[in-house]
Amino acid sequence: MDKLLTAAQAKSFETKAAREDTPNRSTRKGFFTDTTICIGCKACEVACKQWNQLPDDGYVFTGMSYDNTVALGASTWRHVAFIERPVALSTQDAGAFSWLFSSDVCKHCARAGCLEACPTGAIIRTEFDSVYVQPDVCNGCGYCVTNCPFGVIDRREDDGRAWKCTLCYDRLKGDMEPACAKACPTDSIKFGDLETLRETARTRVNQLHEQGLGEAYLYGADAESQPGTGGLNAFFLLVDRPEAYNLPPNPVVPTKTVKETWRSFGFAAVGLLAAAVISAVAGTRS
Amino acid sequence: MAECHPVGFRWVMKAKERGATIIHVDPRFTRTSAVADIFVPLRAGSDIAFLGGIIHYILENERYFKDYVVNYTNATAILNEEFKDTEDTDGLFGGWESDKAEYKKRDWMYEGVEPEAAAGAREAGPGSGKEQKQPIQAEHTDPTLQHPRCVFQVLKRHYQRYTPEMVEKACGVPPRLLTKVAEALCRNSGRERTAAFCYAVGWTQHTVGVQYIRTACIIQLLLGNMGRPGGGIMALRGHASIQGSTDIPTLYNILPGYLPMPRAKHDKDFATYNELNESPSGWWGEFKKYSVSLLKAWYGDAATPENDFCFKHLPAISGDHSHMNTVVDMADGVVKGYFVMGENPVVGTVNGPLQRKGLRALDWLVVRDFQLTETAEFWRDAPEIHRGEIRPQDIGTEIFFFPAAAHTEKDGSFTNTQRLLQWHQKAIDPPGECRSELDFMFKLGQRLKKLYAGSTDPKDRAIHDMTWDYPTRGPLQEPDAEAVLQEINGYTMADRKLVDGFTSLKDDGSTACGCWIYSGCFKDGVNQTARRKPHWEQNWVAPEWAWAWPHNRHMMYNRASADPEGKPWSDRKAYVWWDEQKQKWTGHDEPDFVQKPPSYRPDKDARGKETISGIDPFIMQADGKGWIFVPNGLQDGPLPTHYEPQESPIKNPLYGQQCNPARMEWMREKDNPYHQPYDDPRFPYILTTYRLTEHHTAGGMSRWLSWLSELQPEAFCEVSPELAAKAGLKNGGWATLRSARAEIEARVLVTHRLRPLHLNGRTVHQIGMPYHWSSKGVVRGDCPNELFSFVADPNVSIMETKAITVMIEPGRKSKERRHATSGPIVSPLPSREADRDLPQARHRPETGHGYKTEQVKEGNT
Amino acid sequence: MSSTSEGRTRYSSSIDPVSTDGRDIDTGIATLSGEAAQQRVKHEDKHLAELAPEVWDRTPAITDADTTYYDRPLLKPSVWSVDIPIYYFLGGAAGAALSLGAAIQLVAPAEQRELRRLSAICHWIGIIGSTAGAGFLVHDLGRPMRFMAMLRVFRPTSPMNVGAWILSAAAPSAMATGFFLNAPGILGTIGEVCGYISGIFGAALATYTGVLVSNTAIPVWQEPRRWMPVLFAASGAATAGSIIDITYHGRAGRRIGPVFGAIGRVAELAATLKVEHAASAIPKIGEPLHHGGTGVLWKTATALTATSLVLSSIPLRSKRKKSIAVGLLGAAGSLCMRFAVHYIANASARDPRASFQQQRRS
Repeated sequence: MDKLLTAAQAKSFETKAAREDTPNRSTRKGFFTDTTICIGCKACEVACKQWNQLPDDGYVFTGMSYDNTVALGASTWRHVAFIERPVALSTQDAGAFSWLFSSDVCKHCARAGCLEACPTGAIIRTEFDSVYVQPDVCNGCGYCVTNCPFGVIDRREDDGRAWKCTLCYDRLKGDMEPACAKACPTDSIKFGDLETLRETARTRVNQLHEQGLGEAYLYGADAESQPGTGGLNAFFLLVDRPEAYNLPPNPVVPTKTVKETWRSFGFAAVGLLAAAVISAVAGTRS
Repeated sequence: MAECHPVGFRWVMKAKERGATIIHVDPRFTRTSAVADIFVPLRAGSDIAFLGGIIHYILENERYFKDYVVNYTNATAILNEEFKDTEDTDGLFGGWESDKAEYKKRDWMYEGVEPEAAAGAREAGPGSGKEQKQPIQAEHTDPTLQHPRCVFQVLKRHYQRYTPEMVEKACGVPPRLLTKVAEALCRNSGRERTAAFCYAVGWTQHTVGVQYIRTACIIQLLLGNMGRPGGGIMALRGHASIQGSTDIPTLYNILPGYLPMPRAKHDKDFATYNELNESPSGWWGEFKKYSVSLLKAWYGDAATPENDFCFKHLPAISGDHSHMNTVVDMADGVVKGYFVMGENPVVGTVNGPLQRKGLRALDWLVVRDFQLTETAEFWRDAPEIHRGEIRPQDIGTEIFFFPAAAHTEKDGSFTNTQRLLQWHQKAIDPPGECRSELDFMFKLGQRLKKLYAGSTDPKDRAIHDMTWDYPTRGPLQEPDAEAVLQEINGYTMADRKLVDGFTSLKDDGSTACGCWIYSGCFKDGVNQTARRKPHWEQNWVAPEWAWAWPHNRHMMYNRASADPEGKPWSDRKAYVWWDEQKQKWTGHDEPDFVQKPPSYRPDKDARGKETISGIDPFIMQADGKGWIFVPNGLQDGPLPTHYEPQESPIKNPLYGQQCNPARMEWMREKDNPYHQPYDDPRFPYILTTYRLTEHHTAGGMSRWLSWLSELQPEAFCEVSPELAAKAGLKNGGWATLRSARAEIEARVLVTHRLRPLHLNGRTVHQIGMPYHWSSKGVVRGDCPNELFSFVADPNVSIMETKAITVMIEPGRKSKERRHATSGPIVSPLPSREADRDLPQARHRPETGHGYKTEQVKEGNT
Repeated sequence: MSSTSEGRTRYSSSIDPVSTDGRDIDTGIATLSGEAAQQRVKHEDKHLAELAPEVWDRTPAITDADTTYYDRPLLKPSVWSVDIPIYYFLGGAAGAALSLGAAIQLVAPAEQRELRRLSAICHWIGIIGSTAGAGFLVHDLGRPMRFMAMLRVFRPTSPMNVGAWILSAAAPSAMATGFFLNAPGILGTIGEVCGYISGIFGAALATYTGVLVSNTAIPVWQEPRRWMPVLFAASGAATAGSIIDITYHGRAGRRIGPVFGAIGRVAELAATLKVEHAASAIPKIGEPLHHGGTGVLWKTATALTATSLVLSSIPLRSKRKKSIAVGLLGAAGSLCMRFAVHYIANASARDPRASFQQQRRS
């Protein structure tokens, strides 16, 4: 077994990402999740919990097919959805039935609601273009929680801080791929440079269309298809409407629409001051 | 496969990506079905009918690979005149001896020949000593496949009733789907393409389990898919090293390398033992080399030719000591002690109440596991304890619990289903007093040696003479696992030089080898099983990643990948071939063959390896051919025949013989009552059991882990919406399931993944339930295995857990009753045992103990 | 299922394996060093039980246009407690009062002395409201001791950060105004300047919270975002006016409070209607405003404010009693309105169809 790292070695790992010779340096990294080859094994959920040493969420039998995890949260950063449908997949001969699986994760949006809303600057964009919550800064104000259009990030009550998928920031700094991508047996979760992933995804969609799976499409692959978030660094290949997977059909980062609210603020504040002046005038003259 | 072998399934998905068609046949729609191209729902317990329907299709439409069938299988062999097929006797083969309740297998022989079963007398059942040695070739063959008594024609006749309509009647599979599957298989077989079968215990855990596999074998032999890349039949084993546990066996009836265990009745001395097990033809002709080397490994210098190499030290079996028989022996007070290591039989094996009855009657029990499993806790946490029917203070068993080391805490090897041995290294010392099995057994052996050091009793010589000098290392003084592997590999006694392979073994005591099929795993002094050359640095067979037995041959019988002239059947499927210039067999993999040209034909008096001709790819068979028809070696028939499970909702639509006539039953009314064979009004539904990805077998490795437990926290059963409506079940609610043996509760998932089947004019409902839960651990539930009875396949004694009948009702109505301790749970009905068999097969020996009673009675001392 | 003991337990030393912190790591032989290893786990996380409070009792089957994932929420509910609506109430009143104080300072310098008491009330509402409000905010944080992190950066994209700065400007300037406005010399000048500063920041303080709630993904908050700041500012004015109604019965400037309050109440009612209208363009989004407990609360707030307004316009004999009644009703109405705004959030977040329909429309 290797000996423990010396302080110098540890330091060099830490600064490695910034060095010229590291493949992970300053490129946009992300996930492409091809749900057509997901087998619903939940290895991603367990690998994530194990690597990050997240606690369990309790034992609840939900009756929702094989999904007893239900949604992402402060202590669940990967969640596999199970969708039973009384319609067939175009390329499958199994009667009028199909079972879809999809491993949900933080999308690490190009324009991230949580990041833009965070008042303390705890949520930052890393050199890998991922969105990362610094647990030593977060003071648990909870504003990010309501700002995520995907309902990903959450605040843990007994801990007080907000947590979410880190895109295995510590692993990326060590030139390794995230735990979930590593564990995924069928490579449904593909990790890599965003541009490469996008190309792979487009090729895959075309391939599926050729094979007869016309319902396959990409979700959040780029800014054109999802202007509200600027595209997702963790994007998906789906075969049913986003709502079926509990994904928003057209998510919009709240800060995208906030200009008109600030304008309204301006008017209202001025109006308030005007009302104050009017009241003062009414109360002192006449 | 996606459920239970997700990592292995990676390769199925890669195949799919490259255009393979994935067909999934299962009573329920699983995670595999979700990504398959074709899903075939069928009735649990009816697979032989389904596969028989495929054979029918292949033969009817002449889609078999003729050149392959004629040259490499025994389809051309002509059977003796006495042979009678099930067609002649409404479901029985000729040769059934009513008084003994078994088949006289002579009637199935080739005309004029009596070939050996693949490994000596072990599979031939009791009473078959060997009387004559014959040359291997079937005396009479018909390469035109026209002779009415040639295997091919017999096969055709046997399966002529397995029409698509009959398959629909038996399995609930519509003819369209059967045809689609059969056509897909045929289209993907032949010179240019191959098709593969993958199966697991859904096929084996039946009273006809072995015959299921046989039917697939027949299909693959007819289609020419055996011994060819992308073909074959893959048995997906139950956990990481079950293959290893049969190679270096934990089975009662074999020694390492599948050498049969000596039998008290027949193997009076070493010479007889070798003679009975040696085959005049094929690789088993070298039998004595393997047995002598094994004994030398175990007894070292104490084993000499004079004392038969300490052959008498080996225990001899006196009958069927398989698991269920042993448990029954415990319950009846015959077996006194029990080691349970890394297994949880009370949950993972059938008829928990009977298992626990056995445990209660023991003098002592040793359990080694990570946690206090239900087997370790049977004395204070069991349904009968909860109900007050049994009190802990009345149980006289002395129980020892040893904490076990995890696989990351010890060195060792795993052998997977592809016979690949992969070494794994210890990453961390086990905590506290946890120890590996190797360490435990080694230290136990040392203590036994010390304990018996002064004894002069002859039977203790076995302990004296045992070589037990593995070096130890580390702060815990653990035995060196690599040293054990080296012994398994084998070495010359004189200078302890490691041998290259089993061809180097001798029968004069100059070599030692712990397991002949593993010989070569430490070739050249290098731990071959620890090699990890990445795939991009070698060819696609990857021979330098770990090591496969035998001799690092990755595909057995790969001679069949080349035609009778030694050329590959096609370039696309080239694997091994005859190199005319170099005059040797070569290829991508090591050829699993003798170095003789394809044109070689043996002389009349050839013996042993010399009897293998240039066109005999199946070298472990006596005649070197793939056996479509099994003339000797199986208890229940030379050809697979559809029989119903012990408990079924319907009568056998194909034959009057309802169940496997040779099945093993335990007629014990008190603790093993059977349901009526069919149409039992108390139990109208089929129950099948299986696994989930999230949990592992009996739960010892998953139900104590929070991250796995939260994924599937409660025991549940799955029913179709139609059954839910009929029985009043609600999704997310509770249900109570009952059999004659037990009653349990579970949550309910109502899902379209289970479908009612329409067969023979009625609707048959199936209930599915994973078997992972029991009363201990972080997440708990009831175990469906409690509902099952002891009934087994006659060839390998495997339990039937994939199809029984049960009753289900909504709500939590279980009072935890167990027939073994609480008395009858359901109203008794007159026994219709007789309906399981035709009149001539009804006599079953009076026994509570499996069918091989005579051996047990005489052998027990 | 069961509760865990404090912190981490040695897994191997527990006979009952239920009592761990859910990480199954024996700290005797391994160190917790994952990204989430510092997560404090005192008890089982309730979020799963909240997400799936009842078992799904239908056969899983997704087909129709109204498809959802087992009706599970899309968004996460707001984690804010009642501290926050209380803050809206206090901060809103404080901000509006500071604006009024600054207005008085601007418009009637001559009557300063007569209006000193009213002025002081305004400033003290400002001081108490903003500091107490800040206290509630800090209390609501997951890690209250880290409240200073709010001022770690200046991030204009985040209304909460902007608000933290606004509050940090408003409260001290309010204090300075309160202490120094009528002081002689340089302090008095400082006081005056601070008076104007606190007035401007006060207006911002009362209004920014409307931006805060609208700048979220919660449909019932985000949809009527054009009117939320107006609602908040108006409510702040109404509250300030109500407090003045209750506490100030002097003759000088006796119309200032009531007029300010009336403008506030009218604006509040108008904004309420506008918010309802905007939110209910898609019925699912407006649902919390009309149905359930939140609907009742919303309507109650409107009723109270309307009653207060009506009462204020009826001439009654006892001016003092009427004033107090109007103030109490007005304050109650505004307080109800704050709570209503707070509670509609989770009703909306829980309903996936609200988000889906909102997005499908655009």
